[in-house]
Amino acid sequence: MTFNDRIFGILMIVLAVAYGWGTTQFNEPFGGTEAVGPETFPRLLAAVLALSSLYMIVRPDPDNAWPWSRTGIELIVAVVVLIFYAALLQPLGFIISTTLAVGTLCWRMGSRPVKAYVIGAVSGVVVYLVFNFALDLALPLGLLSFLEVG
Amino acid sequence: METLGFLMDGFGVALAPHNLMFALLGAFLGTLIGALPGLGPANGVAILIPLAFTLGLAPETAMIMLTSVYAGAMYGGRISSILLNIPGDEPAMMTCLDGYPMAQQGKASEALAISAVASFIGSLIATIGLILLAPLLADFALTFGPAEYFALFLLAFATLGGITGKNPMKTVVAAAIGLMIATVGIDNTGVQRYTFGVLELYEGVDFIIAIVGLFAISELLFFIEEKAGGGKEKMAVNKLTLKWKDIRNILPSSLRGGVLGFIAGVLPGAGASLGSFIGYTLEKKVIGKKGYFGKGDPRGVAGPEAGNNGASSGALVPMLTLGVPGSGTTAVLLALLISLNITPGPLMFTQNADIVWGVIAALLIGNFLLLILNIPLVGIFVKLLSVPPMYLLPVVTMIAFVGIYSISNTTFDLYFMVAFGVGGYVLRKLEIPLVPVILGLLLGPEMEKNLRHAMDIADGDWTILWDSGLAIGLWVFAGLGLILPYIVGPLLRRRMKVTTGTGGPEGD
Repeated sequence: MTFNDRIFGILMIVLAVAYGWGTTQFNEPFGGTEAVGPETFPRLLAAVLALSSLYMIVRPDPDNAWPWSRTGIELIVAVVVLIFYAALLQPLGFIISTTLAVGTLCWRMGSRPVKAYVIGAVSGVVVYLVFNFALDLALPLGLLSFLEVG
Repeated sequence: METLGFLMDGFGVALAPHNLMFALLGAFLGTLIGALPGLGPANGVAILIPLAFTLGLAPETAMIMLTSVYAGAMYGGRISSILLNIPGDEPAMMTCLDGYPMAQQGKASEALAISAVASFIGSLIATIGLILLAPLLADFALTFGPAEYFALFLLAFATLGGITGKNPMKTVVAAAIGLMIATVGIDNTGVQRYTFGVLELYEGVDFIIAIVGLFAISELLFFIEEKAGGGKEKMAVNKLTLKWKDIRNILPSSLRGGVLGFIAGVLPGAGASLGSFIGYTLEKKVIGKKGYFGKGDPRGVAGPEAGNNGASSGALVPMLTLGVPGSGTTAVLLALLISLNITPGPLMFTQNADIVWGVIAALLIGNFLLLILNIPLVGIFVKLLSVPPMYLLPVVTMIAFVGIYSISNTTFDLYFMVAFGVGGYVLRKLEIPLVPVILGLLLGPEMEKNLRHAMDIADGDWTILWDSGLAIGLWVFAGLGLILPYIVGPLLRRRMKVTTGTGGPEGD
């Protein structure tokens, strides 16, 4: 099967066209136009990307299988965990969010749940202590801010 | 002799106590990174860059530490090759061939010691080569005008896949994507490009975020997909009984491997994998029937190990003198230089002489440190090898998060990093290499600047780009870099495949 390269090639050509069209929307630089303006280099790139993507469509490589089914769901879970980690880092604080994120990832990668969350908690506390005291960088404490000393 | 004076100054920098301490730390971390499967050198160095920033290290200290990490990773790659038969990094592949059989015969610690000595010799030869060649090349590069630089950047992209690369067109696609991302933001005439009014994009995309996302996050996703969380059985390590005779035996192989590796490292398009491959093949040719290659011949461990370490030091030559890296890891080191506000290239040798020579001296010192670290302390690294990836990778991901977060204390960067990670996963699935994307991000602004300068000088005449002999030469080599893989690539790949019995290299 050679769908992957073809589909990606088409997407990239769409990107190249959109990107190239974007160059017509730039404001005129202050001081008038020169031989090479802000649009020249992007236009070159759009042409290069369009041509090389066209090659991918014409001469595609064999596909690597995509992980549908369960592995695919595991991957989506992992990405969702990472997004939640980013979102909750400040509100929940570094230690709690790290326990949850690292623990969940370890668990989903095959560790026993209890051990996974213990590892998450330990790594979170250790990195927090190292950053706050040894490196003098404040990571957010969030919900645990009552623990803050003076 | 001028070089010697600079080198002495360099030793002055590198031997300052805190620099020495960070070199030691870097060497240790690097060996660890190289040894752990699933944490390649480029990935490891990338994760450490934000930490080097948040530590507020001086430029030369940061550079010394990360160069030591780089050197250490090349040493570390051999540990898992020998003990687990899994190359810790891709150039260590050839070390598996004789290293693993040695370990199976109960000579694991001899194999580890021999490979450490060979790595040391390879790196030493290449570092001396670097000291001799780099100033010459830097002087020569001073004659480059903007048109030559533009052509040089093209050459860098064209040869990045290496002559063993599978599909050079995918390198072009990747490079174009990287360069396009680099154009986001306000350009140097003050025009906003592709910012869509988002404030965070005005300054462009921070390439550190992109690099960490592309490497670290996509690696995590790959491990989840392959369900490789459990780790592998490890070999028992016997007590070391290495005699002087054993070392003398491998000396010629190491010397040959080191020289070949250095040459392969300096030349664009060859790289460490080819260096170790040539090192191994040459040993087989030279020793011939007298050897027992593939069945645990120590010379088959020494040759490629010296070759791969020689190549990795050699790869620093184009990176330091021209500002054009030839491999993924040197690209990441270039990212560090750019973010330290140092313009890489020939001028660095005059403007930032303390840093350049400090780094070179640190390489020499680091080599001795690594030899010391790797012979008696090898047991520690072996123990750490048994940490299964299911704990290792989530913790590494967390460290990547902390590093990126601590650069600017905003969560916007974290979302961006995750997005790059998912993008990197998709690209790797399609076998589109990530290194050209990163190189595009790094070199994009310089490339455009040189194009503009050249065109301004010539008043809009495009022929300026191939007006000088030097520029034409660079264009020709860039063209060859794209065409040769189609001609000799399949042949070379088949040979490497026959030798290793595994898949061909992907280019690091």
